[in-house]
Amino acid sequence: MSVGFKAVHWNREKLIYDAILFAGVVLFITAFVGISYWIEPPKDLPAAIDVRIRAFGTCAFVMLTVILSIGPLARLNPWFRTILYNRRHFGVLTFAVALLHAWFMIEWYDAQGTLPNLLVELTTWSDYGKFIGFPFKVLGAIALLLLFLLAATSHDFWLAFLSPPIWKWLHMSLYAAYGLVVMHVALGIMQYDRNPLIPLLLATCFSTVAALHFVAGWRERSTDRARGSDGWIAVGAPGAIPDQGAVVVSASGGERIAVFRDGTEIGALSNVCAHQNGPIGEGRIVDGCVTCPWHGWQYRLSNGCAPPPFNEKLATYPVRVRNGIVEVSPHALPPGTPASIQASVG
Amino acid sequence: MKRSHRRVHRLFWPVLALLVGTGLALALIMRAPPPAPPTVVEGQR
Repeated sequence: MSVGFKAVHWNREKLIYDAILFAGVVLFITAFVGISYWIEPPKDLPAAIDVRIRAFGTCAFVMLTVILSIGPLARLNPWFRTILYNRRHFGVLTFAVALLHAWFMIEWYDAQGTLPNLLVELTTWSDYGKFIGFPFKVLGAIALLLLFLLAATSHDFWLAFLSPPIWKWLHMSLYAAYGLVVMHVALGIMQYDRNPLIPLLLATCFSTVAALHFVAGWRERSTDRARGSDGWIAVGAPGAIPDQGAVVVSASGGERIAVFRDGTEIGALSNVCAHQNGPIGEGRIVDGCVTCPWHGWQYRLSNGCAPPPFNEKLATYPVRVRNGIVEVSPHALPPGTPASIQASVG
Repeated sequence: MKRSHRRVHRLFWPVLALLVGTGLALALIMRAPPPAPPTVVEGQR
């Protein structure tokens, strides 16, 4: 949080997460190479490098698919929030795997002494006007560049330096990178390798990501439409708010408000975390503090202030109980203003 | 995620998905047919 920057804020959960992630990548690549060698042992060095290119390329594509699926999955089912946490390490590892894929491709040309052919491929300008025959490696190179930018700026230093809105926009380019990778495969290996698994994997992964985003977005439309007028917004009975959890409502301006309950204390905070605009309302109260599900940033329910020595503050909203129903004002108070109340939970 | 982000996200995603989906379908349709298996004719070398 705000006390100072460290390269990585390691904790037990992150170590376990990274260990599982790394083991998964090693297992995938080992299995891919093993099965490929078993089906058709490579005849020479370029053929052996080709297997590595495919293994690392497929692994990076599957990892990108998983990364883009985690967000909507976490909105559809709270269980997936455990994977959401520390997603940035997943992204950095994906860049490393994609970089190795590109490195083996250069090695493949080098092993045959045809490295200049790569340059010819990329600078045959007439091919850029074609659809089938388009220099697909360029699409992969642009995607790799985007992944590098995202990995290099994933640290909190860059978040603070660029400001959260710009950082968020930059990191939305992951979607463009994914689109480029899909077309890199579709116009590349899918054109000259007739293995039906290639289009099948490509279409399945792409459809899964698209469908998950569509379903999650569709379900959230109801939250945004259920806006109050200028008056207070009804949340429900105190008991309807999960203990140490939240109900998210939408203010008249469309910004979301997370109404938390901690025993008999009820308070409302902005649903946007001060760190990376994470969805506070999908988090829980841990050690007496509202905890963001993305990276564990914490705030006091009573006033939206991070506990010492941190100094981040969230906007709070007035809450009241009328006729047994918790209501929240759509008008935000200045960040750090005490606004929680005590209510009996029937 | 702020409302402005969500709005752009909801517009951006379907457009990108449609573009990439169309590109993927075209790439699949326009694939060159598989090469015919070599036929060996008796007595011909």
